[in-house]
Amino acid sequence: MLLELSEEHKEHLAFLPQVDSAVVAEFGRIAVEFLRRGANPKIYEGAARKLNVSSDTVQHGVEGLTYLLTESSKLMISELDFQDSVFVLGFSEELNKLLLQLYLDNRKEIRTILSELAPSLPSYHNLEWRLDVQLASRSLRQQIKPAVTIKLHLSQNGDHNTKVLQTDPATLLHLVQQLEQALEEMKTNHCRRVVRNIK
Amino acid sequence: MELSESVQKGFQMLADPGSFDSNAFTLLLRAAFQSLLDAQADEAVLDHPDLKHIDPVVLKHCHAAAATYILEAGKHRADKSTLSTYLEDCKFDRERIEQFCTEYQNNKNSLETLLGSIGRSLPHITDVSWRLEYQIKTNQLHKMYRPAYLVTLNVQNTDSQSYPEISFSCSMEQLQDLVGKLKDASKSLERATQL
Repeated sequence: MLLELSEEHKEHLAFLPQVDSAVVAEFGRIAVEFLRRGANPKIYEGAARKLNVSSDTVQHGVEGLTYLLTESSKLMISELDFQDSVFVLGFSEELNKLLLQLYLDNRKEIRTILSELAPSLPSYHNLEWRLDVQLASRSLRQQIKPAVTIKLHLSQNGDHNTKVLQTDPATLLHLVQQLEQALEEMKTNHCRRVVRNIK
Repeated sequence: MELSESVQKGFQMLADPGSFDSNAFTLLLRAAFQSLLDAQADEAVLDHPDLKHIDPVVLKHCHAAAATYILEAGKHRADKSTLSTYLEDCKFDRERIEQFCTEYQNNKNSLETLLGSIGRSLPHITDVSWRLEYQIKTNQLHKMYRPAYLVTLNVQNTDSQSYPEISFSCSMEQLQDLVGKLKDASKSLERATQL
């Protein structure tokens, strides 16, 4: 699958051949850093002064590069497809190789960052448990009532929250049995076939 | 067990065959247990024709006394000798004491279950449901190809009678971690019961 680059995008990227490869590599590093932590316009100023161009040009160059990397990572395009897509920009052999390397080196991390953008439910983080026995209450003395107290740690969008819950021994065994069945399901022929065939 | 004068007075009236003949006594005794333990007992539990000849104020007093005593006895897990002693002090004859103790014994389990269920506790997990999905793509990320689980815990709150659910997603590794920890808890439980 080839990447489709818009005219505007191509214009922005046209800045890259005008600087030497060390600078392009540096822009690549800045682009990934921006994906990790967010944009920092001050960096554009510094770079613009050193290269003697407007900071807009630098910004567009970095943004163009960022978009190139994220789209390629999102679609998980092959090396060949990447090379063919970039070919239309008419860059030098050296620059093309540099861009490909940038893509391959950073693809995994960019995909991890992109996966955090998906709609998400609270996800499991940790579980702590404790065995308790209730011995008496205001309304009934001399009891022996076992219970398992559970602290469930969940995280959502970076926030952690915990829920404290309780269950009785019978339900605990039931929970274990049900969830073990859930795990077993991945090993069934049906699931294996799906995983093998959807690629 | 500390019981008030009102309860004692009520029992003394119950003991008197002049106020309560044996049929009335049996009916009142049953009514006391029924109004405590039967979830569908209605307010007319004392409206039996064979109780009509008794002054309603007396009837209510004795009913309340009996119910109070039954709850206190249940709470403290009173044994037969404790019951007998108190009833003797209230001037119950042998036959009525036997009758009370038998009726108490028959209802003891339900009574203790009822009393044990009163009280605050943490939200209680009652069930779990799960869903296995295979994630293919999102609008931000294509070609994902990984399995994920969605687990929902059904939870019951004792005080609010509400049934919130707790749902969360997890990967296969996370679910294995979760199941591992729950299994540790249940093994610990087994070991504790063998001590």
